Amino acid sequence: MLKYWRLWLLLIVVLGSIMAIGFKERRHGVEIAYVIKDSPAYGQLRQGMVVSSVNGAPVENVDDWSKYTSSLNGLVRLNADGADYSFNVNQSQSLGIEVEALESTNLNFGMDLRGGTRIMLKPKENATRSTIEQIIGTLQTRTNIYGLKEMRFIPVESPDGWYVQIEATGVGSNVVDELLASKGAFEAKISKPVDLRDGRGRLQLGPNYYDVLVSNDTVTVNGNAIPQNNSFMLEGIQFERSNVTGTKALFMATVYRGSDIEIVYTDPQHSGLIPTGNFYRFYFTVLVSNEGAQRFAKVTSGIPSQLDLESGESYLKDTSIYLYLDNDLQSSLRIAASLGGQAYSTPQIEGGREKIEDASEEKIRLQTILRSGALPVSLETKSISIISPTLGSNFIQSAMLAALLAAGVVVAIVFIRYRSLKVAIPMVLTGFSEIIIIMGISAAGAFDAGIWAFVLALNVCLIAAVWWKLKESDMFASIGAILIPLLGLLSWNIDLPAIGGVIAAIGIGVDQMIIIADETISGRKETKKQLYSLKEKIGRAFSIIFASAAVTIAALIPLLFVTAGVFVRGFVITTIAGIMIGILITRPAYAKIVEMSVGKKGNAE
Amino acid sequence: MINMAAHNMNRNMTVLGLKFDYRLLIILPVALLIFSSYVLLNSYLTTGEWFVRGIELKGGTMLSIKTGQPTHAADIEKALSTDFGKLIVRELRGFGEYGASIEMDSSVDYKKVMDRLTGSGIKITDFSVENTGPSLSTLFWSQAQMAIILAFVLIWIITFIVFRTVLTSFTTMLSAISDLLMTMAFMQIFGIEFSLASLGALLMMLGYSVDTDIMLNSRLRKDSGEDVNQKVGGAVKTGLTMTFTSIGAVGAILLTPVPDVLIQIASVLFIGLFADIVNTWFFNSPMLRWYFETRGARNA
Repeated sequence: MLKYWRLWLLLIVVLGSIMAIGFKERRHGVEIAYVIKDSPAYGQLRQGMVVSSVNGAPVENVDDWSKYTSSLNGLVRLNADGADYSFNVNQSQSLGIEVEALESTNLNFGMDLRGGTRIMLKPKENATRSTIEQIIGTLQTRTNIYGLKEMRFIPVESPDGWYVQIEATGVGSNVVDELLASKGAFEAKISKPVDLRDGRGRLQLGPNYYDVLVSNDTVTVNGNAIPQNNSFMLEGIQFERSNVTGTKALFMATVYRGSDIEIVYTDPQHSGLIPTGNFYRFYFTVLVSNEGAQRFAKVTSGIPSQLDLESGESYLKDTSIYLYLDNDLQSSLRIAASLGGQAYSTPQIEGGREKIEDASEEKIRLQTILRSGALPVSLETKSISIISPTLGSNFIQSAMLAALLAAGVVVAIVFIRYRSLKVAIPMVLTGFSEIIIIMGISAAGAFDAGIWAFVLALNVCLIAAVWWKLKESDMFASIGAILIPLLGLLSWNIDLPAIGGVIAAIGIGVDQMIIIADETISGRKETKKQLYSLKEKIGRAFSIIFASAAVTIAALIPLLFVTAGVFVRGFVITTIAGIMIGILITRPAYAKIVEMSVGKKGNAE
Repeated sequence: MINMAAHNMNRNMTVLGLKFDYRLLIILPVALLIFSSYVLLNSYLTTGEWFVRGIELKGGTMLSIKTGQPTHAADIEKALSTDFGKLIVRELRGFGEYGASIEMDSSVDYKKVMDRLTGSGIKITDFSVENTGPSLSTLFWSQAQMAIILAFVLIWIITFIVFRTVLTSFTTMLSAISDLLMTMAFMQIFGIEFSLASLGALLMMLGYSVDTDIMLNSRLRKDSGEDVNQKVGGAVKTGLTMTFTSIGAVGAILLTPVPDVLIQIASVLFIGLFADIVNTWFFNSPMLRWYFETRGARNA
C-alpha cells in the first residue's frame, strides 16, 4: 500500500482541507452585522450576536428576518445568543439592525460576494509610515468601540505616498461613514454667567472686564452685537451666546479641545467605577495642556460660590463644565469652589449607567475615543466601492453555476479526446481535489492551526516511512508535504477575483494533466521501440510542467508588488496557491494514477 | 515519405488538399498582428486612448442600480443631465431584472444622484458603487503598465533559462507580445474594458500561453525517433487539447450570468487563448521547426 504514497498524501491534504473548511459550531438564526446608533437595540445587541427568533417566530435565514421585521410596531421580542430582549418600536422608527446569514463554513467570502464597502483613503498632507500607522491605530480603536469585527485596514504604499485601504465586509457604507465621520473632536465648555442689572453687566476674564449690554433681543459684548447662537472670541477663547434672561446672561466658553488632552488616565488612582445608589458611576481624569488650564482659570474667575446643602461642599454658582465628543454631550459637572480662577489641568470626566458592564463599557469607550483622539491628519476618500449584501449573495450562486458548467465542459472535452474514463475521471477528481485544497488553505476557523498541524505530522510520518521502507524520496512531493500544511495557516478572502483565480488554476492544472497523459499514454503508440522508460517520460512531463508553472507565477508576481494589485490580490494569491498545490501535491498523485493504469496495460499485453 | 536529407528538407504540408511550405503559416499571425495594431492605433487616433479603460484605471464613478421595472436610459439622462455634468447611461438586462449603469465624474456624489433618481419616480431596489479619484487612477494606470513590462522581463528570463537559446526564448517572447496586442485589440472590438481584473487575467494568460510553447519546444528536442512532422503533429494534438479544454471552460463561464469581474477575467482568457492558438501554432511552431531543421542540417 505504501507505494501509492503520493495518493495517500493527496488524500490526507484533501481531508485536512475539508476539515479546515467545515469544522464549525452549528447554530440557527441570523448574525447581527450592525446595530445603528438610533436603534432601540443600540447598546444591548451587538455585532456577531445570533438572533434565533423574532416575536416567537423562529428565524432561519435573512429572508425570514426581513419578513418578520418589515412592519413592526410596539413591543418587539428578540432572542439573541439564547437570551431574550424586548424593545419598543414605533411606526416611524425602524429596528435599525442589519443582519447577515450565518456562515456555515470557515471560508471568508470577500466583500464583493457578501456585500460591503471598500474605501481607499489618502491623507491630505504628506504622511510617513508612522502617521499611517497612527491613523490605522485610531480607526482600529474606533472599530473596536463600534464593535465591528470584520473591518480590515491595510496600509498601501505607492510612489505618490501612503494610502489606507478599508475593507468592511458585510456592512453598508453608512457604518463606514459613521466611523470616519466621528472625528473624535473633544470639547469642554463652561457656562459663564454674567449678572445683569438694567440690561448691563460685566464679563470677567481673569483681571479683565468686558461690557455686556442687553436690550430686547440684542446682546452686545465689548461693543459687538452678538446674534443668537453666534460665537465670538475674547482673549483667544471662543464664546457662544447661550441663555439670556432679565437678570442673567449665559455664555458658553470653550476651555479645552482634543488637542489640549495630553494624557488620558486609565490607572486605578485616576479612573474607576463606584456603585452609587441604584446605578454605577464611572470616572476618569485627563491631563490637559497648560494653555487649556489658563483658559479654565480665566473663564472661572469671578464666579461666586455656593454651598450645596446635600453634599456639604461648595461649588461655583450657576455654572457647569460640559464635555462634548463630536458635539454630543458626554458629561456635565459642577465645578468645586476651590477651583474658581485656578489653572486647572486635570478635569475629571464622569457619568453613570444602571448596569456595571454598561458603565465600564462607556468609560472605556470615552477613554479610547479621547486617547485615539482626532485623526492626526485629515483623510480624503480616493476610491469607494459598495456592493449590497443581496447582490453579493446572487454573485456566489452565479459563480457556483459558472464553475459547475465549466467543469462539465472540461469533462466532456477530455472524454472526447481520450475516449477513456480511466484518463478522464482521475483528471476531474484531481482537479476537484485541487479546488478543495485551495479553499481549505484560504479558510480560517477556530481549529485551523490544530488541523494543519495534524496534517503536517501525518505527512512527515508518511514521507519518513516511504524513505525508510521503500528507499524512495521525491524532493517536490516532500516539499509539498511540508509546505502545503504550513500554507494552510494562511487565510485570505474568497472574492470574485479569487474565484477567477480558482478557475485559472484549474485550467492550468487540467492542461498539465493533459501534458502528463500525452507524454506517457500516447507515447506508447510510437511505432518505434520504447526509447524511454515510463519514469523518464513522467520526468520529462514534469520538466515541462515546472517550467510552465514558473513562467505563470513569474508573470503574476509583479502584481503583488504594485499598489494597483491590492484590488486583484485575491486572483494572484489564489492562482499562485493553485499552481503550487498542483505541482507539489496533485500532479504527482495524478502521475501515479496514470503510471498505474499504463503499467497494468503493459502487463496485460 | 520521410525525407530528412539535409539539402532537401520537406517543408511542405498539406491542408485540405492544398500543398504549401509550412513557413507560409506565419502570414496569418502577421496579418492578425497588423490588423490588431490598426485597431489600437485607430482607437488612439480617434479617441486619444489606446483602449477603453475601466473606472479604476481612468477615474470616475460608476453607479449600478437595479430597478423593479424597465427603465430607459433616456429617462435617467433626463433626470440627471441638468445637475450632474456629463453622464454615460447604459441599460442593463439580467434574468427578469432591470437596471442601469451610470458613469459620471469622480467628484459627483452618488447619494445625490440616487436621491434624484428616486425623486423622479425611478425605484431603486439595489445598487453598487465604484468610485476612483483621478490621482489614484493615474497611479494605478502607470503601475499597470509597469506590471506588464515587468511580467515580460520575468517571462523572458525564465524562458531563457528553460530553453537555453536566445532565439527560441525570443520567438516565445514575440508570440507572447503578439498574444497581448491581439487580445487587447479584440477586447476593444468586443467592448471589454481594460480593468485591474482584466490586467490580472492578461498577465496570467501571458504565462499560460507560454505553456504550449514550452511543451512544443520539449517535444521538438526529444529524441524519440520521430521526424519533425510527427513531433509537431503530436505537439499540436496535445496543445490544442490543452487550449480547447480551457476555451471550453472559460466559454461556459461567459454563458452564465456572472458578475462583471468574472466576465472580464473570462473574456480576456477566452480571447487570449484563441490568440495563443494563432501565435503558437502559426508563428512559434513554424519558427521553432525551421530552427530545429536548420540546426539539424548544420549538425548533419
